[in-house]
Amino acid sequence: MTLDTSVSSSGLGRLFRGQTAIDFYGHRKIGLVSAIVVVVVTVLSLATQGLNLGLDFEGGDAWDIPASETFGVDEAEAVLQANDISTTGARIQLRSSETSDIVTVQVEELPREQAAQVTADFAEAAGVTTQDISFSFTSSTWGREITEKAARALVVFIIIVSIFISIRFEWRMALAAIAAMLNDVVFAVGFYSLFQFEVTPATVIAFLTILGYSLYDTIVVFDRVNENQGRYAGVRMPYEDVVNISMNQVMMRSMLTSFSSIIPVVSLLILGSGVLGAVALQEFALALLIGMISGVYSSIFIATPLLAYLKRDTGRKTRRDRMVGDDLRAAVMGAGVTGRVGDQRASSDEPHDDVDDDRELVGSAIAQPADRLLTHPPRPRKKKRR
Amino acid sequence: MKRRLWTSLIGVVLITLSTLVFNVATDNTPILGLDLQGGVSVILAPVEPATEQDLIIIRDLIRDELERRGIAEPDVRVQGQTIVVDLPGVRDQDEALSAVDVSGVVELRPVLNFSDCPAPEATQPALGLGDETPSTGSAPDTSVEPTGFRRPQAPPADSIPGDTLPADTLPDGPVDIAPAPTQATVPGAELLPTRDGSVLCVGPAQGTGEVFEKGSAQLTGDQGWGVAVDLRGDGQATWNNLASQCYNAAPTCPSTQPGVRGQIAIVLDSIVQSAPQVNQPNFTDSVAITGDFSRDEASDLANVLNRGAFPVEVEAQEARTVSASAGTDSLRAAVIAGLIGLVLVLVFLVAYYRWLALVIVGGITVWAAMVFTMASFVSGWTNYALSLAGVTGIIVAIGVTVDSYVVFFERIKDELRNGRTIKNAAPRSFNMTWRTIWSADVVSLIGAFILFWLSVGSVRGFALYLGLTTICDLLVCYFFTRPAVLLLAQSKLMAKRDHVLGMNVATA
Repeated sequence: MTLDTSVSSSGLGRLFRGQTAIDFYGHRKIGLVSAIVVVVVTVLSLATQGLNLGLDFEGGDAWDIPASETFGVDEAEAVLQANDISTTGARIQLRSSETSDIVTVQVEELPREQAAQVTADFAEAAGVTTQDISFSFTSSTWGREITEKAARALVVFIIIVSIFISIRFEWRMALAAIAAMLNDVVFAVGFYSLFQFEVTPATVIAFLTILGYSLYDTIVVFDRVNENQGRYAGVRMPYEDVVNISMNQVMMRSMLTSFSSIIPVVSLLILGSGVLGAVALQEFALALLIGMISGVYSSIFIATPLLAYLKRDTGRKTRRDRMVGDDLRAAVMGAGVTGRVGDQRASSDEPHDDVDDDRELVGSAIAQPADRLLTHPPRPRKKKRR
Repeated sequence: MKRRLWTSLIGVVLITLSTLVFNVATDNTPILGLDLQGGVSVILAPVEPATEQDLIIIRDLIRDELERRGIAEPDVRVQGQTIVVDLPGVRDQDEALSAVDVSGVVELRPVLNFSDCPAPEATQPALGLGDETPSTGSAPDTSVEPTGFRRPQAPPADSIPGDTLPADTLPDGPVDIAPAPTQATVPGAELLPTRDGSVLCVGPAQGTGEVFEKGSAQLTGDQGWGVAVDLRGDGQATWNNLASQCYNAAPTCPSTQPGVRGQIAIVLDSIVQSAPQVNQPNFTDSVAITGDFSRDEASDLANVLNRGAFPVEVEAQEARTVSASAGTDSLRAAVIAGLIGLVLVLVFLVAYYRWLALVIVGGITVWAAMVFTMASFVSGWTNYALSLAGVTGIIVAIGVTVDSYVVFFERIKDELRNGRTIKNAAPRSFNMTWRTIWSADVVSLIGAFILFWLSVGSVRGFALYLGLTTICDLLVCYFFTRPAVLLLAQSKLMAKRDHVLGMNVATA
C-alpha cells in the first residue's frame, strides 16, 4: 500500500491535503487586539452617533395619495428619488378597497419644508390638489416591548446554551464560544453604527442569524478539539498543542463551509440587489455577509485561543515548548485517525532513546499514522469454509 | 444492515417526494409575509379624540392581542389619528375586520342588584335577559381579598398574592351590614349580562382597566384558581375609592345579600366578566381575586385584565388590501439569486469532491423539498408567514446544511489519508460527524425554541424557520446522507476507483 504522505510544496496544496502548520495559539494576540479594537470602536461609534434606526423603529412621515392609472407605486418612488430621499428605507404600498385605491408612502422623518415640498410634488404627480393628500406622522411598528422581549429571549438563550455546552463539552468552551459570538454581534452592530446603515427589523433578524451561525461554527471546531483532547490523554500534550493541531485539521473544513455559506449571500448581494434591483435585499445581505466573515474569523482567532488560554493550567506540565513548524505539521497529519495516541516509550524500537523524555513524547504524538496503524501486518482473513 | 440503509434512503426520498407532490397538487404553499405578498390592512380609529400616547398604548395592546389569538407578525402602527393594522396571510377583508376586532374598554362598575335595575331610564334588557331569575352562581362566589392583609402595614414588597386567609377570618371590620337600599335609583345603572347567562344590575363606571398595571395579571393556583393583578401608581386611588364604597356597602355600591359586602363588576364590552366581593377597603399595589374559578375562567379573567388598559375605545373603519412593501420583485430576486448561489456552491463542491458530491446534490434537493413542504404546513398551522427575512434565512441555512457534508467528507478524507479503505472509513467517519452535527444543530434548535417561546413578531417568525431548516438538516443527514454514502462506500463502484473525493487512494 502506498500512501501519499509527502508534504505539498505550495501553501494551497498543503491546505487541500490537511498539511498546514499554522501556530494559531502563537498568534493569539491578533484575536485579542482585534477584539479590543472592535469593542472600542463600537462603543465609541454608538456613543457618538448611535444607530441609524429605520422607519419601523422610529416612525416617520406618511402620505396617503389617491392612486390612479397614471399614479402608482413606481411613480411615487420616482417622486421620492427626485427629492433625493433614499428609497431603501422607504415603504411604498398600494392599498385598495372596492371604492378607492390609495398609495401609502412612508419615509423617515423629514424636515418640515422638505415634507411640504414632497407633498406638493406628490400632488402634482398624481394630478390632485394637496388637500386630497393626507400627510401624517406614522409611529413605529416595532415597539420597545418587542426589543425588550427579544433581548430577554437572547439572555435566556445564552444561559441555556452555556449550560448545554458545559454539559456536552465543558464550561470553558461555553465561555469561549459565547465570547466569540458576542464579538460577532458587537462587530456587526459596530459596523452598522460606524457606516450609519439603516437598521430595519430585517437587520435584527440578520444579526440573530449571525449569532446562530457563529455559535454553530465554533461548536464544530470545538468538537474536534474535544475529540483530540481525549486522543492525547495518554501523552503529555500541552493544551496549546491540542488546540493548534485541531485548528489545522479543521482548517479546510472551515474554509469550505465559509465559502459555501458566503457564495449564496454574495449572490444575493450582487445578483439580487444589484442586477435584479431588489433593494430590500441589499442591506440584509450585507449584514449577513459581514456577520458570516466575522463568525468564521472569531471561531478561529477568538474562541480557540481563548479556550487554550483558559485551559493552559489544567493540563499536565511539560518542559518543552509548544510544537511549531514541521513538528506541528507532522502531528496534524498524524492525528487524523480515530483512536488514541498511546505512550510509545514501551516499544523498544523507538529510535530516539537518547533524547529527553518530553522530546520523545512529541515523537509519539506525531508518529506517522501508517506506522501506528500498521505496526503489525494485517491478520490474514480466514478463508470461508465451503 | 445494508437492507436497513436502503429502507432509510428510499423511505426518506419517497416520503419527501410524496408530500411535495401532495403539496403541489393541493396548491399548498407557504403563506408569504407582508413584505413579499402584501395582505389586508384595517384602519382603526378612536371613537373620541385620543392623545398620541393613548394610541401608542392601543397599538401595543392590539399587537399583543393579535399574537395571542394566533395572528402572527401583524404590522401595527399609529398613523395620524388612526391605527393601521396590516395582516399577512389573511385572504379577505371581512376576515381581517373580524380578526382585529379586539377593541373594548374594561370598566369597573359597582354591582347594585342581581335581578332588575330600579333606575327605569337605564334598564336595557336588550338581550332579552331582563326577567331572568338571577343566578347567583358565579358572580358572588368570587371575592377580592386584600393581598397580605395579615400584615396591613407591611411594605408592598411583602404583599404577595396568595398569602391570604379566607375572608371569614378577617379579624377587623364591621361584621354588620346595613340593609341595602335596593330601590335606590342610581343614575347610569344598567342591566348587563354575565358570562354564564344571568344578569347583573351595575352602576355607572367608576374606573377603567387602566387602574391595573398592564400585563401584570397572573394566574394564581394556591387555594383554587385565582388572579393576581398589580395596581398602577395612579390607578390605585381610583380603585380604592370604588373598593371602599363597596366595602362599606355605600348606597352607590350596596350589599346585595345580607352578610356580604358590595361587589365590583369587571365589565368588558358590556358583559360582566366577574363580580368579586370586596373584602378590604384599601389595597396597596396589588389585588388578588380568588373564588370558585375553573382554570379557564381564571385565565380568561387574567387576559381581560391584562388587555384592559385600552384608554379609549377604537372602531374598525375600513379594510383594504395592501400590496407588498418590499417591492413586488423582491421574492423573485431572492429566489433567483439564492438558486444561482446554490448552483455555484454545488458546482464548486462537485469539482472539489468529485463523484461523492452527487450525494450532496441529492441531499440538498431532498432538504429543499422537505423545507418547502414543512414551511407550507407550518405556516398554515401557525399563521407565521414567510417574510423576506425568512427567505434569506433559508438561503443562509444552505451554508449550514452544506457544512454537514463538508464535515463528513473531510473526515472521510482524514481516514483515507491514514490508510483506511473507503468502505472502512465511511461508517467510522459518520459516527464522529454525527456527534459534531448533532451538537451544533442542537444549539441552533435551542436558540430557535427559546426565541420562539419568549419573543414576539418577526423574531418569532425567524425562530420558526431557523428551527425548521435545522430539523430538516438533521433528518436529511441521518436518513439520507448516511445511507447514501455508506452504500456508495460499500459498492463495487467505489472499491474499483483510484480516486475518491479527489484523493488518490490507488492500491498498489
